Amino acid sequence: MSARLGLWYCVLGTAFGWVLSRSGAADYGFIQRMFLFQSFQLYGILGSGALTLGLGLVVLKRVGRTLSGAPIAIRPKAVNTGNWVGGALFGIGWSITGMCPGPIIVNLGEGKVYAVFALLGVLAGTWAVGWLRPWLAGWLGLGEWGSQPTTGSVTVPRGSTRRAATRGG
Amino acid sequence: MLILNGQLPMNWAVAGVALGTIAIILLWTTGTRLGLSTTYESLCALWSELPYFRRSELGGKGRWRLWFAAGLLAGGILAALAGGGWRPTWELGPFDEAIGWGPAGKAVWMFGGGVLIGLGTRIADGCTSGHGLFGLANLEWASLRSVLAFMASGIVTTWLVYGVLFR
Repeated sequence: MSARLGLWYCVLGTAFGWVLSRSGAADYGFIQRMFLFQSFQLYGILGSGALTLGLGLVVLKRVGRTLSGAPIAIRPKAVNTGNWVGGALFGIGWSITGMCPGPIIVNLGEGKVYAVFALLGVLAGTWAVGWLRPWLAGWLGLGEWGSQPTTGSVTVPRGSTRRAATRGG
Repeated sequence: MLILNGQLPMNWAVAGVALGTIAIILLWTTGTRLGLSTTYESLCALWSELPYFRRSELGGKGRWRLWFAAGLLAGGILAALAGGGWRPTWELGPFDEAIGWGPAGKAVWMFGGGVLIGLGTRIADGCTSGHGLFGLANLEWASLRSVLAFMASGIVTTWLVYGVLFR
């Protein structure tokens, strides 16, 4: 990857990190108040964010091409038991740390020392799944890695997502 | 108020529209689907020889995640500098009021929670950004299931911690 493209990713990441930091999405207290239904802030951010992105996707699907003219290809995520099991485990971790994967790095930048330990924990958990993957894949129907479609239309019919999931499992 | 320098947060609608717009710009300019939890696979790929971390999608164009992560770090630093100054802190808001553990306890707490995040996001194949923002916006079933699962377990966990264990 060219340094110029890398820097562009870095610029987008900086903007994303800034908003996460200043909006409460990377704040332990706001995460707890969201889960306790004491604050609407994070529900509002996630809702308006998904809505904005959804509208943008509708437009971009019509355009069908990226800025450089390449066809837009989105890999749909596979539907399997792992969605439930993994989602549930992640939710516990999100509540405990008050940070999801992006905000851990943002908190690190803000100077929150405890984010170092959350980061080490995520690395340990990620590595463990890499190690246990052959066993987990059979148990949860996760599929072979790299078996999912990496090209194709942005429009994902429900059936194709399911086929991708069952084929891999 | 934010833990960071006690600032007031920006408006939720402004924040949401900004995050959604950045994700669309990311897709339009580079063809990249937003998703941040795989960043930790890219970090593992820097040293681990396990076949899972040697797969091709983490190399080449997949390295965008490390650049984006560097940006997230910079975003946090800039937000601190622009809003009252940067300094290392252990402050943890409601945790300090209700639980009150020192640095050692917080380190163990954060490490344990982090392990669950690592396990969970790899098994669910995504987190709040890849499933919660992008997946929901793209109307994917896998994302709806994951979001329902992590919101439910988060609500139960916070209720257990603040409503039962340390009330």
